[in-house]
Amino acid sequence: MTLTNRSGQTTSGRGRGWSLLTDYGIIWATLLIFLLLSLTADNFFTPANLRNILDQQAFFLIAGSAVTLTLISGNFDISLSACFINATIATALTMNATGSWQLALLAGIAVSALCGAVNGAIVAWARINSFIATLATSFVFYGVAYLMSNRSIIRVTEIDFSNIARGRIWGITKATWIAAAVVAVFWVLLSRTRFGRHVYATGGNPEAAHLAGIRVKIVTLLTFVLTGAATGLAGALSASRTLVGQPHDDFTFVFTVLTAVIVGGTSIAGGEGAIWRTLFGAFFIALVINGFNLLQIDPIIQRLIQGGVIVLAVAADNWTRSRRI
Amino acid sequence: MDEAGGSLSVPHIEVRGVSKSFGGAVALRAVNTAVQAGTVHALVGENGAGKSTLGKIMAGILAPDEGQVEVYGRPVELRSPRQALELGITMVAQELSLVPHRSARDNVFLGMESVRGPLVDEGRDRARVVRLVEEYGIQVDPDQLVGRMSVADQQKVEILRSLARDAQLIVMDEPTARLSSAEARGLRGMVRQLADGGVTVVYVSHFLEEVLAIADRVTIMRDGEVVRTSPAADETRSSLIEGIVGRKLEAVFPARRPPPPEAPPVLEVEGLGREGVFSEVDFTVREGEIVTLAGLVGSGRSETARAIFGADRATAGRMTLDGAPYAPRSPRDAIRSGVAMVPESRSAQGLLGRMTVRANTTLAHLSLFALPGGFLRSRPETAAAEEAVRTVRLTGATIHSVITELSGGNQQKTLFGRWLVSRPRLFIADEPTRGVDVGAKRGIYDLLAALAEAGMAVLIVSSELEEVLGLSHRVLVMSNGRLAGEVAGADATETSVMELAFGEAKA
Repeated sequence: MTLTNRSGQTTSGRGRGWSLLTDYGIIWATLLIFLLLSLTADNFFTPANLRNILDQQAFFLIAGSAVTLTLISGNFDISLSACFINATIATALTMNATGSWQLALLAGIAVSALCGAVNGAIVAWARINSFIATLATSFVFYGVAYLMSNRSIIRVTEIDFSNIARGRIWGITKATWIAAAVVAVFWVLLSRTRFGRHVYATGGNPEAAHLAGIRVKIVTLLTFVLTGAATGLAGALSASRTLVGQPHDDFTFVFTVLTAVIVGGTSIAGGEGAIWRTLFGAFFIALVINGFNLLQIDPIIQRLIQGGVIVLAVAADNWTRSRRI
Repeated sequence: MDEAGGSLSVPHIEVRGVSKSFGGAVALRAVNTAVQAGTVHALVGENGAGKSTLGKIMAGILAPDEGQVEVYGRPVELRSPRQALELGITMVAQELSLVPHRSARDNVFLGMESVRGPLVDEGRDRARVVRLVEEYGIQVDPDQLVGRMSVADQQKVEILRSLARDAQLIVMDEPTARLSSAEARGLRGMVRQLADGGVTVVYVSHFLEEVLAIADRVTIMRDGEVVRTSPAADETRSSLIEGIVGRKLEAVFPARRPPPPEAPPVLEVEGLGREGVFSEVDFTVREGEIVTLAGLVGSGRSETARAIFGADRATAGRMTLDGAPYAPRSPRDAIRSGVAMVPESRSAQGLLGRMTVRANTTLAHLSLFALPGGFLRSRPETAAAEEAVRTVRLTGATIHSVITELSGGNQQKTLFGRWLVSRPRLFIADEPTRGVDVGAKRGIYDLLAALAEAGMAVLIVSSELEEVLGLSHRVLVMSNGRLAGEVAGADATETSVMELAFGEAKA
């Protein structure tokens, strides 16, 4: 039987420059918008405004770094909002009950990690599509949040607790520093460890991963637990910043996080992505919104543009990706 | 090509000089054949001989690259199944294309429902299906959900669907491959009845007895060419096998050095089975020995290999590895015991397409390069990947190349390299050279021979007879989920292997 050799090099044919442009598109887009805003908006390039952007992104980055792993391993997690809310309530309750900020943070993280473990177990062993599974558990977790808080707002009585998130080191909030540390940890975990490699393999080709001896179910479970724990930390810090734990059932948090991850260029099909992508994705969105506010664009128009920008970013990414194969 | 039979009318369908390639792999080479109206015309051949491709071209599912298709002497362009259907031609494919959640009746009339205004006229469809069932004696319950039916009944629904569309010619691709013997007998009766009722049936099958029993004429194919077309009455089982096989071995294989007689067994398999898939498989592979599991697709070869690798759980029997009991519960267990497997499909089961050769090579042995906490040390990982890539002789690519940029041969070599990062005791390769070019094939043969010489036990699963005979010290032939026999040395010929592989027909 004769078989022709598929040609060895098939990368888009436009050379290295083109692939540098498309592979790192989100970086160029973020830098471009940064430059534009610096030139056009008077109050943009000021220490106060930049610190403010960093601080606002802290919670999204903490959860976003972790959920990047879940997406790369081929799964979605819609329950971040519900985990987050449970964490704020558990943190506030524990703080009031024990007066120990350490225990309070731990409680927030633990409750949310437990939620993640439930998600992971359902997805890995009951083999339910992760989108559906975490949508369903979201409602359960929202319900738990109402029960745990007795349907009321929990106010933290110890005012100093806010120092965990709001305190400043070199002018930058502790929440921002913690977010930077979490991003660094997940960055290393994903790109430099055996577990990280297993995450890519699980999402890229689960059958191949299994046949290479990787415990695909355990990897899946762990990505959900890590996502839960990180989201719990974000929730605990939020409780510190606002001194409030409040039950509600609103999906804004998870959609903001997932938007950052996906706009960054992590594949929703799994197997591809990176923490730095989520980092830039988050700042890209943050800069767009910040710019709108500084340029005093009508919030309703803002939404229209924001939605359009997301579609454009993902479409551009898909387009360059399909040319790479 | 002699047209036996003499006084033949204009054929129902005739192909002239038809060629077809898939991305460089030639499936059909200038094929001529004619099918007479109202007959059962069988297409036989080895896996990959081109019989399914020819059937699909007749049914308009594939378009020929070159050549002409004529229906009743009139040249036609079959560019889609729909066009073929307008000419009264349909296909019952190996993978059935029914909607499982709808009833048999709905499936039969899918896309051509009787309507009254905007509504489906169920009553009329029910009457239509009853008429069809009576006319052809095909027994199915029109109201049952297709998903709840046996494969045999689903095939009946497919056939009814063809008939409901006034099909004059039905192409059936391996219709009995997934049927029990009683069901297969029923289907054969039905096929005969269709032909007696004037419908032409093109019957693609590798069950030779079955072909001899129901076909009027047989076309034998080999390597994309027609060997001959003749009345089935003139053929025998052995004449068919001879036609299917008939070719000389080429000297593309490395020299075989049989293991010394005192070489200890590495893998011993006793009474291995997996319920409903294969059973009572016994064999041994010794140090330095290359053993092949041959047989037709679906005979249980790959499934046996998967069970040995722990990818599927064996439900019966026992195994030992280097004398110690061996019962892998997962590929992870198998790998830890020193077993490696290159799976059947490198893209679906083997490689991470978007990642580099390095990441793919070291995937199964990352712990070798990990510090406590799982941090990977880049330098030893790179060194190990380089070493593996050298061993498998990757050409024109580096460890930093992305898999999708590699040729099929290099992709396959990367998969081999994955297991050579450590030293497995038992090396299993399922279809080791599927879809790779000739040069890379030779490279892989050399590699397998070298692994055996280095003292590994090598177990190969292969559909390519040439490779089975050219490479292995012993050939185990599977048929219908059992070991049909073992051949070695001078007894191992294409004919002896095929005799065992075709086994007994489902009589």
